[in-house]
Amino acid sequence: MGGAKNKRQKREDYRAAMREEGVTELPRKKFYRQRAHANPFSDHQLVYPPSPDQMDWSSLYPDYVVEEAKDNEMAGLDATPERAPMTTKPKRLSKEVEVADIGCGFGGLLVGLAPTMPDTLILGLEIRVSVTEFVEDRIKALRAKHHEAKLYRNVGVLRANTMKFLPNFFRKGQLTKIFICFPDPHFKARKHKQRIVSTTLNSEYAYVMRPGGIVYTITDVPDLHEWMVQHFEAHPSFERISEGEQEADPCVEIMRTETEESKKVERHKGQKLVALFRRLEDPAW
Amino acid sequence: MMAIPYHLLEVCGSIIFAARGSDIHSFTSTFEHISTWEYPVKQREASCAPSPAAQESPAPEEPPAKRRKVQDGQESTSKGQVNGPKATQEKVVNERPFIQGLYVTTDGHHLVAITGSDKTIWVFEHDGAGNLKQLSQRTMPKRPCALALTADNRTILSADKFGDVYALPLIPSNSPSTSPLPPQNFNRSRSSLTPTPSPGPAAALKPQANELTVHTKRNLIALENQKKSLSRKSAEQQSQSSGATPSFEHALLLGHVSMLTAICVATLTTTTTTTSSSISLSNDGQQQPQQQPETRTPTTAKEYILTADRDEHIRVSRGMPQSHVIEGFCLGHDEFVSRLCVAPGGRERVLISGGGDDDLFVWDWPAGRLLCRAGLAGHVKDAMVLVPSGGDGDGGDGNGNGDGQGAGGKQVKVAVTKLLASRWTGCETVVFVACERVPAIFCYNLLDDNTLRHRETVGLPGNPLDVELLGAGRLLVAVDSVTSGEGSSAASSLMVLDQQQAGSEGEAGWRHTPVVPTNESAGGAADINLSTEELQKILYTTESLRKMTDSD
Repeated sequence: MGGAKNKRQKREDYRAAMREEGVTELPRKKFYRQRAHANPFSDHQLVYPPSPDQMDWSSLYPDYVVEEAKDNEMAGLDATPERAPMTTKPKRLSKEVEVADIGCGFGGLLVGLAPTMPDTLILGLEIRVSVTEFVEDRIKALRAKHHEAKLYRNVGVLRANTMKFLPNFFRKGQLTKIFICFPDPHFKARKHKQRIVSTTLNSEYAYVMRPGGIVYTITDVPDLHEWMVQHFEAHPSFERISEGEQEADPCVEIMRTETEESKKVERHKGQKLVALFRRLEDPAW
Repeated sequence: MMAIPYHLLEVCGSIIFAARGSDIHSFTSTFEHISTWEYPVKQREASCAPSPAAQESPAPEEPPAKRRKVQDGQESTSKGQVNGPKATQEKVVNERPFIQGLYVTTDGHHLVAITGSDKTIWVFEHDGAGNLKQLSQRTMPKRPCALALTADNRTILSADKFGDVYALPLIPSNSPSTSPLPPQNFNRSRSSLTPTPSPGPAAALKPQANELTVHTKRNLIALENQKKSLSRKSAEQQSQSSGATPSFEHALLLGHVSMLTAICVATLTTTTTTTSSSISLSNDGQQQPQQQPETRTPTTAKEYILTADRDEHIRVSRGMPQSHVIEGFCLGHDEFVSRLCVAPGGRERVLISGGGDDDLFVWDWPAGRLLCRAGLAGHVKDAMVLVPSGGDGDGGDGNGNGDGQGAGGKQVKVAVTKLLASRWTGCETVVFVACERVPAIFCYNLLDDNTLRHRETVGLPGNPLDVELLGAGRLLVAVDSVTSGEGSSAASSLMVLDQQQAGSEGEAGWRHTPVVPTNESAGGAADINLSTEELQKILYTTESLRKMTDSD
């Protein structure tokens, strides 16, 4: 296994160098490859906040940190006879994340979207460690490269298992757009419950989205496309967006051309199946 | 031969139900034996052959699972020897699946039970005098972990190991099982029955990849093979058209991507006259109708489903026709949540939760707001010090946790196994807490400001397996004196605790009265071929929910 070790060594050297030097060079993908699948049911070694209030976004979006002296909002937590409250409030941002790319992969969509919505915070979520690191390095390099224009300050990436922990990051109604681009198709019937779109998961997407928000999906697998359409259409919180409106949405074009997977599909002359869904208002209860 | 202790209790008026192994016994309040329901042994034999019950559970259209954990003994028998000697051992363990949940409807007319390893929900009619008549037996797609009943007692909500909550009617409708819900009922209607995510067998008959989505040579060959095998299968499938879903009426309400550990139904009473949904109780928990300005003539009760999972979440969803709407979360636990309990006495907004954390949590669940944390680990530690041996059996599930558990260990790990809240005379609300492998019951007061204050710890001669309330100041406890090191006094595993006021006989405290049910002498059925270790594995499952963080 000398070869394998060699490769790993190269990889580590490269990445260490990337982190040390004041990077302006974009990272190279071959040093960040990772198996394409991850088991969403296993515990992994994930870092996630207990609740959105305790999420520290400041390292992801340093340009948006609000310097404040003190915040008394959470002071309402009474000290119990048994235990004093333990909350230290994280730094606050002037904006909240409103756009999430679930399974952002190597970050093509994030990079494509960032300049088109410069005033919106965009977050990529990816379950694979080294792929997440690639995107981190990529954003760092892009920020350095476009230092004067102050571009790419509005994108960030996190390693997360969104199937389990989406509500740990986002409050109710926080997001306006969710992108689900070329998700793992999980062809085998036994693996269907690992798909990122399901009736029960759609309820969570509905929870973190505000009414009027849009879920964007794209895939090159017709059956998965059908599956996603079926499940979103069957969910009372979503309706499908008409093709006319879909094609008028500038995000759709970016999704079709900028993601790594879409380029790969392009090369293989595959099909790209797009479907958009609008979050509806909840009925009275 | 090992005597099994009673491990589940349910009190229904003056009748006591107690489960022991796979049997349910009923007693009067003076522990006269009334009746026993025994798990039908025929069931076991039948399930080896393809009986209708056995066909319901594994989804036939799915390919057989790779390396499935062979916990379900029956499955492993029907599929033949999978894992060699281990499989046969497990088979013995689950010959008769243990009762893992026992629930009485609020009207007392029905009893619902879960048997774990065969994933079955049983419904019994209760005549009010302790006699049970089995009405139905339904095998769920996945193992149910906890049940709740809706307020009208007509629907069972089953929370399962794979994170899904299914609704099933308490009394299955009379339509025969030949007319099941179609497996792929993507009913666009916004009815109460949210569609199940199964795409139906039809979709499985053609490969989901195609030549355009598969690029490498190897994958193309794989695809070709897949197509061939599918076309072969499709012929078989058309002959037996049974779907993946069980044949009885059921609906998927909601789901977590995590094992569910607790479910409860909570009701908020709102006045429709006011703009804000004001709760019919003032904050201090006492009803003061005169002081509230608004006339609250038409009040409506809205149901909510509260579910807790192994990944620290407590989710609040709307009740039944709109269970797809998540209202919020109660987030703050750092470890698994294992028990939920809504405060009694009209404090319907207050939820108490416990799990693998050192504290109990008190929530304003409609707002998703943490009201208080109350220390538990400290009291657990104190209680463990009192134990002479420290408990010999850290057995199966304890290992791998690394740092000290049980005897001598400074680190106490808490795993809440029971939360029971009750309003006693006056306006005192008492919360009883039991933790796994801790021979004590912890009593707290839920104060008017919604804080929990530890009131006392009641020591027990063995680990409590279940606790129920027999009346104000009177508890029934199922004690594991068998495996928690009390030697041979296995005869009585039930114990009544009576609270004693200070003054009558010296200091205040709890009087322990072991009770021996009248059927005890004949209780041959309670013995089973299990080693202590195996029995412990079945009785103590909560700590194993903890995530292993120290490994790689």
